[in-house]
Amino acid sequence: MRTANRLATLLLAVVLLVGGVLLAVAAGAAAAGRPALLVDVAGWAAPLGETRWDDWPVRAAAIGAVLLGLGLLVAELRRWRPQRLDVGDGWHLHRRRLERRLTVAAASVPGVRRARVRIRGHGAQWRPRVVVTGDPASRDEVEFAVRQELHRLAAPRPGPIEVWLPSGRRAA
Amino acid sequence: MTHAAHRVLWTVVALLLVALGGVVLAQSLGWLPGGDPSGVLLGTGLRRSWELATPWAPLAAAAAGLLAATSGLWLLLRELGGAGVGRRGTLVHPGRRGRTRLAAGALTRALERDLTGDPRIRRARVVLTGDPHRPDLWLRVEIVAGARTVGLREHVNVALRRYVDTADCRPAHLDVTALVDAGQA
Repeated sequence: MRTANRLATLLLAVVLLVGGVLLAVAAGAAAAGRPALLVDVAGWAAPLGETRWDDWPVRAAAIGAVLLGLGLLVAELRRWRPQRLDVGDGWHLHRRRLERRLTVAAASVPGVRRARVRIRGHGAQWRPRVVVTGDPASRDEVEFAVRQELHRLAAPRPGPIEVWLPSGRRAA
Repeated sequence: MTHAAHRVLWTVVALLLVALGGVVLAQSLGWLPGGDPSGVLLGTGLRRSWELATPWAPLAAAAAGLLAATSGLWLLLRELGGAGVGRRGTLVHPGRRGRTRLAAGALTRALERDLTGDPRIRRARVVLTGDPHRPDLWLRVEIVAGARTVGLREHVNVALRRYVDTADCRPAHLDVTALVDAGQA
């Protein structure tokens, strides 16, 4: 979402810049009584003089704007996954990098074909959740590998680490 | 721009979209008092007003266009120029007639060099803010794959003690973000 916000802001900036320049040039030409240079204002405004408020394209555009606005509101106001995790004494671990590191640790266990680690929780209250495809007997070893990796990073987690082996994708 | 600034910007854009869409929809459905859904978007009255107000109306539109273009340019510079100026932080010392602002570039570079002296730290970035004698320290260190952060914390603490002794200051707040490489554990 953070990257999407950044890209959307860049797009908005370009639209404002280009649109603003075009509007200024067109309006300046109109004020000076000269023909439009870049945009055919009269040709662009003519359909607006024929379109009624209750025409379906107007309603569709309005509904689209409301839905887009509501979607944006929900996306911006909901609680985002944290960018970093608290490990005490002013130290934090970058969440995504840690997920990748734990994924590598889990995938290095013999019998594991594929692993994926996601961190759940916020602030100091976080815990990894490991999804593994492979030999069901490797569950304890995966948990041990993840716990060991967290210990190496000075971020030990009390309590059990959730290791999930989807039954439909277990190795034979 | 910070993540919070982006969120505020897009929340405002979302509210504007909802408000604009809502008003147009209400007008289209005839819910607005005095509104005529069978009227056209750009009526002859509006066109006549525009022609009567020429050249002031086009000049106002040109000013609005320039304002939009300036906003777009400002936003673009803030987005693209974020990696340069301002990342190092600024120390501020309040005085009797205003404040002394001190760019912290030289101080932070020294600490960064000290931190990257350890082969486990691939890259370090330091931001100093606040009072020069009681600064807030924001560190971001990239750690190579397989490194133990237990020993690394000690290295960072030693580097900080050296920095504190040299710069004659006492950090008020320390915030470290470690980015660990995945690699092979």
